[in-house]
Amino acid sequence: MNKIKILHMYADMLDLYGDSGNMEIIGYRCKMRGIECCIDRYSVDSEMPDFSAYDLIYIGGGADLEQQHIAEDLQKCRQGIKSAYDNGSFLFLICGGYQLLGRYYKDADGVEIPGLGIFSYYTVAEPNRKKRCIGNIVVKTNITGRETEIVGFENHGGQTMGVETPFGSVVCGHGNCTGSSHEGYFEKNVIATYMHGPCLAKNPEISDYVISYCLNRKSDAAVVLPELDDALELKCRQVMVERLVGKQEGK
Amino acid sequence: MNRILIFIGKLIVKILRLFKRNAGNLPGIVLWHLTRGKCVKMFRVDCPIIAVTGTNGKTSVTNCIARLFEKSGRNIIINREGNNLDTGICSLLLRYCDGAGRVKADMLILETDESHVPVVYSQLRLETLVVLNFFRDQLDRNGEMETLIQKINGFCKTFEGNLLLNGDDPNTARLGMANPANKNVRYFHAEPYAYATKEIFEASEGRFCPFCGEALGYEYYQYSHIGKFRCGKCGFGEYEPYITASGIDLEKPVFTADGHSYSPKLNSIYNIYNMTAVAGIAKLYGIKPEITEDVISNYTVNNGRMETFMLGDRKAVLNLAKNPVGANMTLRVMNEMNGEKELLFVLNDNVADGLDVSWIWDINFSIFRDVSRVVTSGTRAYDIAVRIKCSGYPAEKITVCPELDGAVAELAKTPGKKFVIANYTAVQPTRGALKRYSHRAGGDHE
Repeated sequence: MNKIKILHMYADMLDLYGDSGNMEIIGYRCKMRGIECCIDRYSVDSEMPDFSAYDLIYIGGGADLEQQHIAEDLQKCRQGIKSAYDNGSFLFLICGGYQLLGRYYKDADGVEIPGLGIFSYYTVAEPNRKKRCIGNIVVKTNITGRETEIVGFENHGGQTMGVETPFGSVVCGHGNCTGSSHEGYFEKNVIATYMHGPCLAKNPEISDYVISYCLNRKSDAAVVLPELDDALELKCRQVMVERLVGKQEGK
Repeated sequence: MNRILIFIGKLIVKILRLFKRNAGNLPGIVLWHLTRGKCVKMFRVDCPIIAVTGTNGKTSVTNCIARLFEKSGRNIIINREGNNLDTGICSLLLRYCDGAGRVKADMLILETDESHVPVVYSQLRLETLVVLNFFRDQLDRNGEMETLIQKINGFCKTFEGNLLLNGDDPNTARLGMANPANKNVRYFHAEPYAYATKEIFEASEGRFCPFCGEALGYEYYQYSHIGKFRCGKCGFGEYEPYITASGIDLEKPVFTADGHSYSPKLNSIYNIYNMTAVAGIAKLYGIKPEITEDVISNYTVNNGRMETFMLGDRKAVLNLAKNPVGANMTLRVMNEMNGEKELLFVLNDNVADGLDVSWIWDINFSIFRDVSRVVTSGTRAYDIAVRIKCSGYPAEKITVCPELDGAVAELAKTPGKKFVIANYTAVQPTRGALKRYSHRAGGDHE
């Protein structure tokens, strides 16, 4: 089973801060290992896909306007995404994608946009539009079984609450809420996060976690991914961690 | 009251000068506070004002328009140093006004930051507004694109002066609908050039009709979302251009507009658009054709916009790219030249750049043609290296040298053509490093 199938949702509308780069990175890391990686796209007005046929469903983040635009369309996909998730497809969700799969998103004017309610967390926008969580972020995560400090960039007004199983703990930056200790949401087949950058650029372990999951989800024989030369990625992250965490200690 | 404010402002300018400090912005900031944000209201400007705004190309177009009028013998005032916020314009006018705030000139030509157009021209009467393009630029600092367009659109709703808009950018062309009563809306346009495409090539904005939400149809794309578009549902995009660039040949380079042939020095499609806007203003103001031709044919820049350096016997071209569109354009110019070449990419993440560098993922590096080596530098040298690597470029051909002089030396050690791309705060340090190398290796700086 040397093939993974990906559905990239709303690529034309939700692509803030290089979020589409995540797909380029997954594609690159598959290609380097001879794994076939097929990426289909779905957007408003596309034909309804068979969500369960995909190993990975990916939704990026967007500006408020675009997010409202898709929220309605996304409701049409609710059943499909829910059964794919129940059947073990991986959900990788950034920012807006993260928010919209929770119970609801209440915007700065108090208007509630219903989410898909697949997860029990919910998001309330910070009423002061100028008070956003913006900046580089360092998160410590354990999802691969080995504690790793990962780096991204966050920019969100939304404060996400009711998360019981976060993606990681915040070392530097905000995370789910202004000044919170946790970032994102995690299950074995779900990564939901505010980390842009794109998220996978400097964090090859996370890319490989997603790829391994997708490859192994249907088979019993665990495929071990051949190692790649990640010297540039790791050095890139190290430079940022040293800069950011060093800064924080100096406070 | 005005006299007191102006007295204070002029005094600050004098004191700064006394200490040989640049008075480009500080006097304006002080007056901004004293006037509660209305720092240009106290000036009395009786002459026409032309403002130029947009994401890319403001400085070039503003300078060219100024030359049109200078060469026509008019006495003009221009913010040449690019102090384009209200406070910068206030500081500029302080230098030229009398004690009562009266500004004496035949014409004011002002580069104006996109978000400051409504601020400045709700206080000063604007005669002509040129809008070049709107691209995603430093998102985290400026807020979202749509907010910005809405701001300018709000201004245009009551504006009755001349509006010269890029008719090939849906983001700017839509401003032409803001005030249906304004009879002075004009569009500039360009026919397809040799590298225009049928399909969109780079990540971009404005894919949907702002009036009815339909996906826009394109006859051709010149670069990013700039091209001949039309909304199949509501007809947005149907207009008669006031001036059209045709016969565009970037090899020479040459183009024709309004019956005149021009040979600009800079061979990029975005320069053709800029110069078409300049020709549009010349037409609007009845500038003599020989003057327009002279200005367009001789305009070149020495500020890191397609600037040439000789590294010994190796020619290097430097271009500023503060957003994906600028970078994609530079990659195209690089590809369109024959033979092997090497690239140095300098990426910083200082406050003025926007702290986030994810915009590099919107650059389409997969188009690389005959690029034999890449060197990366700047405070985010590794980020750009990773980005280029993940586009499929062989990692072993990438060298990371965060320190700039080292990076330039690395670039220059092999023969062949060199390209250098630097983002906003990286441009001046990169120029410095290139000049230092030139100086040591005996090359020239053209």
